Amino acid sequence: MVALSKKTAEAITCNRAAMLLLAVAVILTTLQYAAVLPAWLHRIPDAMVPPFAAWLDVVFNFVKDDLGLLKFTRFFTEGLENVLDTTGNIFFGKYRWPHLGPMPWTAVAGVAAVIGYSLGGWRLALLGGGTFVWTALIGQWNIAMETMSVLVVAAPLAFVIGLSFGIAAWKYAWVNKAIRPVLSVLQTLPFFTYLLPAVIFFKVGPTAGAMATIVYAIPPMILMTTLGLQKVPLEVIEAGKMAGCTRFQMLRHVYIPSARGDILVGVNQVIMLCLAMVVLTAFIGMPGLGAKLLAMMGSFKLGRSLEIGITIVLLAVTLDRMSKAWAVKQPVHFDKGTSWFCRHKTLVSALCVIVGFTLLSKVVPIAGTIERGQDFSQGKELDNFIKWLLAVDGVQSVTYGIRYVLNVWVLNPFRDFMLSIPTPAMIMMVVAFAVWLGGRRQGIIAAIFFGLIALSGWWDRSIITLYSVLAAVSIAMLLGIPLGIWASQSDKWSRRILIACDTAQTFPSFIYLIPAIMLFGITATAVVGSILIFAMVPLTRYTIEGLRTVPPEMTEAADMAGATRMQKLVNVQLPLALPTMAVGFNQAIMFAFFMVIIAAFIGTQDLGQELQRTLAGTDLGKNFVLGICVSLMALTFDVVIMKWATDKKHALGLA
Amino acid sequence: MSSERPVISCKNIWKVFGDDPEGYLAKMPPDMSFDEMSEDGYIAGVKDVSLDVNKGEMLVIMGLSGSGKSTLVRCFSRLHDITSGTIEVAGQDIMSLAEKDLIELRRSKMGMVFQSFGLLPHRSVLENIAFPLEMRGQDKHTRRERALEVIKLVGLEGREDFFPRELSGGQQQRVGIARSLAIEPDIWFLDEPFSALDPLIRKEMQDEFLRLQQLLKKTIVFITHDFDEALRLADRIAIMKEGAIEQCDTPDKIVLKPATEYVRKFTEDVDKARVVRAGGLAEADQTGTGDPVDASQTVRKMARMLVDDTRDFIPVSRAGKPIGALSRAEALDVLLGDQ
Amino acid sequence: MKTMTTALTAGVLALAPLSAFADSHADSSDPIVIPIHNWSSQIVMSNVVGQILETQGAIVEYVTTDSQAVYESVRLGDVAMELEVWEGAFGASFRAAMEKGGIVDVGDHNAVTREDWWYPMWTKDACPGLPSWEALNDCAALFATPETGDKGRYLDGPVDWLKHGQERVESLDMDFVVVNAGSAAALWAELGAAEAEKKPIVVFNWTPNFAEAVWPGEFVEFPTWEDGCDTDPSVGPNPDALFDCGNPATGYLKKAAWDGMEDKWPAAFATLEAVSFTNPQIAEMAKLVDIDELEPKEAAEVWLEANPGVWETWVK
Repeated sequence: MVALSKKTAEAITCNRAAMLLLAVAVILTTLQYAAVLPAWLHRIPDAMVPPFAAWLDVVFNFVKDDLGLLKFTRFFTEGLENVLDTTGNIFFGKYRWPHLGPMPWTAVAGVAAVIGYSLGGWRLALLGGGTFVWTALIGQWNIAMETMSVLVVAAPLAFVIGLSFGIAAWKYAWVNKAIRPVLSVLQTLPFFTYLLPAVIFFKVGPTAGAMATIVYAIPPMILMTTLGLQKVPLEVIEAGKMAGCTRFQMLRHVYIPSARGDILVGVNQVIMLCLAMVVLTAFIGMPGLGAKLLAMMGSFKLGRSLEIGITIVLLAVTLDRMSKAWAVKQPVHFDKGTSWFCRHKTLVSALCVIVGFTLLSKVVPIAGTIERGQDFSQGKELDNFIKWLLAVDGVQSVTYGIRYVLNVWVLNPFRDFMLSIPTPAMIMMVVAFAVWLGGRRQGIIAAIFFGLIALSGWWDRSIITLYSVLAAVSIAMLLGIPLGIWASQSDKWSRRILIACDTAQTFPSFIYLIPAIMLFGITATAVVGSILIFAMVPLTRYTIEGLRTVPPEMTEAADMAGATRMQKLVNVQLPLALPTMAVGFNQAIMFAFFMVIIAAFIGTQDLGQELQRTLAGTDLGKNFVLGICVSLMALTFDVVIMKWATDKKHALGLA
Repeated sequence: MSSERPVISCKNIWKVFGDDPEGYLAKMPPDMSFDEMSEDGYIAGVKDVSLDVNKGEMLVIMGLSGSGKSTLVRCFSRLHDITSGTIEVAGQDIMSLAEKDLIELRRSKMGMVFQSFGLLPHRSVLENIAFPLEMRGQDKHTRRERALEVIKLVGLEGREDFFPRELSGGQQQRVGIARSLAIEPDIWFLDEPFSALDPLIRKEMQDEFLRLQQLLKKTIVFITHDFDEALRLADRIAIMKEGAIEQCDTPDKIVLKPATEYVRKFTEDVDKARVVRAGGLAEADQTGTGDPVDASQTVRKMARMLVDDTRDFIPVSRAGKPIGALSRAEALDVLLGDQ
Repeated sequence: MKTMTTALTAGVLALAPLSAFADSHADSSDPIVIPIHNWSSQIVMSNVVGQILETQGAIVEYVTTDSQAVYESVRLGDVAMELEVWEGAFGASFRAAMEKGGIVDVGDHNAVTREDWWYPMWTKDACPGLPSWEALNDCAALFATPETGDKGRYLDGPVDWLKHGQERVESLDMDFVVVNAGSAAALWAELGAAEAEKKPIVVFNWTPNFAEAVWPGEFVEFPTWEDGCDTDPSVGPNPDALFDCGNPATGYLKKAAWDGMEDKWPAAFATLEAVSFTNPQIAEMAKLVDIDELEPKEAAEVWLEANPGVWETWVK
């Protein structure tokens, strides 16, 4: 009781503080519009901006050259390069040791089908085999294998590193404490910030691509490993100890195998993130599907972009389904007297497939490689079709109309308004929002984070980034939440939409640019469009989940109270679903921050553009400052919204 | 039996949970109650327990959940480090053992069965059972041979290659039992081994367990929250409440002479005639006349004889040797529930 | 992953006996790595030179890199050479790399380069005062798009070309918004779209390039380039700003190489020294990809086949 009233009192003071901050912010903004606000209150004068980038450069250079980090990473690069050359040789016949490759496409597709079958029966076999057959027939075999050859190196390395850190974080509390904030930052850091250091330390090309991919994919592996190990049942641990296990035996025979499920979920995430990133590393010259897609999109060849997009999506879905099937697959015993061949039928059939198709490809060359001209690509025709479609007057006037209305009436005024708000007023608004939703601690965090952004010297661009995110997420909410509410009303549609969302979430983020560019060309509208599609997925998904997981006795109670559907929705379901929906909103914001940076390549004016510009040099310091700005904004939202959702869940007794 | 040194001997052991248990315990006044400690943020898992377990004996520790019985048994195997007191297991002070020696002790002398089985999900029945042997580095062949032996003992033949999730609860616990027996332990800990099973299976497993015990004659510490189970199996029962032992005695004594009100409440609804045996009623200074009854006979089994007989004292013998005589009137009191 | 690895290992083992068919060139000579960027003439030229080197027995690999960052890579030997060093675009990066050392100047192509704001001729109909930049600025509204509001849109090259379009707009106080294209190809796509409706458009362009043959047009005349315009604010019409002049109208086009190349691949280096392309040849190469839609590798083959007289003399 005492604690409760204390909490209420704190909430009241928080609300009052939020109101006060907001009032001051409004006054400052009004003064700005009345043109009586001194310039130094509108924006921090340049002279007061500390040269963070230069300081960081000094540190980076010291570490890089004086401490010899560069020498070390370059040494490491050589090893990595040898491994990548080997897989490169096997997958697409790069001219390197062991001079075996390339594997015939039929063999790869066959092996994928065999693995698919052993993991999940005929459906997965069809998906696995089908994906590679499509890739070969559509004439993208080589670029797809370039991508795969990096993926098969990056994913296992990310797995091993993530697992080791995960174990360390689980074992030693101080490692955990040290690693958590780093992981939070890493997970919100824009991917461009991974790319430049990768190039500087690991050489242009596949090595840098692989390294950026690895670093990008590690965080979820660490988190899942720690989580899995913490979840091992106490009795299993005690059984291990009573069996007289040494510490290492405990880890090797008890903890890790028992946490297998969670660790494999981590593996699934590692694979998916690796695929997403390996596509994005096209920006630093990583060849493969991503590079081709980037080039095709850039030149507005949408048919071909679409074909590559389909390949990437198929690969993503295949890898996702297979690794998930692996995660839930349980060992099954064989009857006594089962022969060695039957017990190892996956291995045996995979071997047969490889040998068989390799021999076949010696006789029938087309089973080995499909040459240009032999493929079934309809890219050019599709290009022309889409071009024609978009040029149709009706279509064009609609897309132009949307562009016009959206930009002239909504986006540009909103942006200009955001930019007109004086820096201190903006910070106060954000802090007010944080205090109101989260509490004092969240308010302080928001103040520090946005204060740092103001001091970074990139305030305007940060605000433009924030504006794109907010604008796109708002529109996404207008579309995604009603869709979710509608779908949640029927079992059939909830299931269908949820499957669609799940599948869409496995797509590498790059893919979302394709439909946006198709409709709106290479314009700022396309940027908003792509963020919108990307952010709608979690919004819809969590709305459905939130509404569907409202405890049935509550909806039954509403029914018995004689509530109409609408009354039930507004008074019972939505309030209870709100915390879950907030998690979806948070994810949408995180996705949007990620996407807005990718969209830089369409031509934005925000932090993303500056970040992409840093790729053209060696400005590690600037690159880092820009990346941190994005990260700080994303983290502010994350901290506040998640706090609110947790509090609300507790208050509603749902946690 | 009791002439030999006890296998487990603990003196004044405490296990306190909290931020600084040692410091707290050192400063704590000696007669602090469980509730008073809780108010300070400390939980007395085990509260000043002194207890001996003799060789070949089955000691059942009985208590409701949270009474500290599982904590106590984990102190015996040093899965928990005790806060103060001493525990000797097989003559060694286990708190002073180095990690290496502790592991050696567990590998060679202790077996433990868990409530929710604690099986390793990724290992087959055979591999689970051979696990302790593998840990101590036995070669594949011998450990397989030994595992098959134990599998036979617990009646799981033909399921060697099954995985835990492919078995029923009862079968899984047989695996747990087999695993704990694989190293031929001297001391066998069973932590509510049958609680997770449904009542029919539980009865069957208890019979099975008694059969095994007849065969193996291990020193056993058995934990349960089920008083009937305790009465059924125990040589001696220790009843725990809030970390402390309320009474530790043979089932007859507990039923006939509960030491505290708490214990009495447990015994209230028990059909004493089924529990109390001739041996428990026998008075050593009496001899009686006529044919003796065997000490292991329950009063219920002797019911007809007690009613029909006319003797005041009936001689009682154990393994053919007279140990005294029981008062028929007293036995009838037990039978009729007048006591 | 275990199954995957097993399958892979199995694959390797299964292929081992068949590997006899593979090329027996297992020599230890390292491949010559040639960087390629995001405009066609450079990609085709790199492939052309790569294929010439292959006729000499070299092993060549291509790696896509950023066109500014590449000079750092050349310096470190990560890539062996750079075939198109445009004075206007990359002069600064190249000079900076020269100062740090590790890179050598391998001579000029027989070509004159210029890169700047550019418009196709139909634009002039709507804005007759062109090519003067002041006239362009007066017509700014003609170039407006929904995204840029009432200001004109100038479609600049990809961000990483560092064209300083934004700086120029600011220093000359122009009513334009700079929008960066994703790649060179995006420029041509926009030009093509504008052509259909004869919409006025101003984009970044350069010569030698195929575009001048497809869409006749002119460069916008900005205040003439003076040395120091990019380093000294006082140079140029705006005394307080950098980049307030046009780019040099007659720039060089150089070849550069890693300074270890000569020792490591002397023959290839000699060939590289001899290589020299002219404006029309470079435009032709770009056209093969941008208009004829050939893959760069095929474009190079086509070009080599069509012009044996040009390149055979370079090989010794």
